[in-house]
Amino acid sequence: MRRPIAIALVLLSAIPLVVAVAGLPAHGDPSAPVHTHVSAHYIERGAEEAGATNLVTGVLLNYRGLDAAGEVTVIFTALIAVLAILLGTGTTPESTASSRGASDRRGADRESTVAPVSPIVSFVVRLLAPFIALYAAYVILHGHVTPGGGFQGGAILAGLFIALAMVLGTRAMQPVARTALAPWLQGAAVLSFVVVGTVGAFLTGFFLGFPAEPPLHLVRELLIIALEVGIAIGGAAVLATIFLHMEAS
Amino acid sequence: MSLTFDILLLLYLVAAALVVAQAKDLLAASIVFSSYGLALCLLWQYRGAPDVAMAEAAVGAGITTVLFLVAIGRTTRREK
Repeated sequence: MRRPIAIALVLLSAIPLVVAVAGLPAHGDPSAPVHTHVSAHYIERGAEEAGATNLVTGVLLNYRGLDAAGEVTVIFTALIAVLAILLGTGTTPESTASSRGASDRRGADRESTVAPVSPIVSFVVRLLAPFIALYAAYVILHGHVTPGGGFQGGAILAGLFIALAMVLGTRAMQPVARTALAPWLQGAAVLSFVVVGTVGAFLTGFFLGFPAEPPLHLVRELLIIALEVGIAIGGAAVLATIFLHMEAS
Repeated sequence: MSLTFDILLLLYLVAAALVVAQAKDLLAASIVFSSYGLALCLLWQYRGAPDVAMAEAAVGAGITTVLFLVAIGRTTRREK
């Protein structure tokens, strides 16, 4: 009885969706509302106004900088929520590490999720690691010119950390993950927005304002790069921390 | 050509989504979901959104899958 009702409800909600999609303007239609509102201005003047040849970065960090600040705050809050759940179970990485010493006699010291890592995977990951790191740095630092930026580069960086942690064992990450530096890395995205926003407030009078006058173009570019680097470090640290805590719990 | 590629990718996305929803083996579901992310990444790139495509490839196809796999490793593989 419940199944026919469910199918009927799905169909009932699908019909208005399909009708709504059919009513959208054609893909790439120049007279579509999305192309006649603010985006015409962004495309025409965005590169010089926002200081980023990549218009996506220009909109993300300059025109809509406050939205991006909110976004990184959401990511940081998500990390706090995940850690609250994982650490709330009572098995912190520290306690696991200390109890490990006692239970190591069984020889069941799990260094990674996947049982013994094959030498081929291990070799390939270690061979590719520097190239992935270089690519991540390029995506982060070149994100205001070409596609990419802090979010994407940070995710690539986090992927590299996770791959290395799986091959070398999560203990290889502990010199970074266990120091007083770790919270600063996890909060780097939010902190960079606060710092850059305050600098912008001194320069232009608006929080997260970017100087638009030609003599300060270098400052504007540096501020954008500072934001990108902060977002990347924060994003990578958040993703890697979630992975390390899931591994350890 | 372009429309064919779009339709193929979209059909694959629908098929992969159905497989993920129906699969009882969570490991298989995670891996199919990873391929879903990769197909979506191709579609973004093809539709002219390389910024989104990069994020989708790194997060959707990569890190999400790893986190799913870790979670499965901590629980059970079969859906009851």
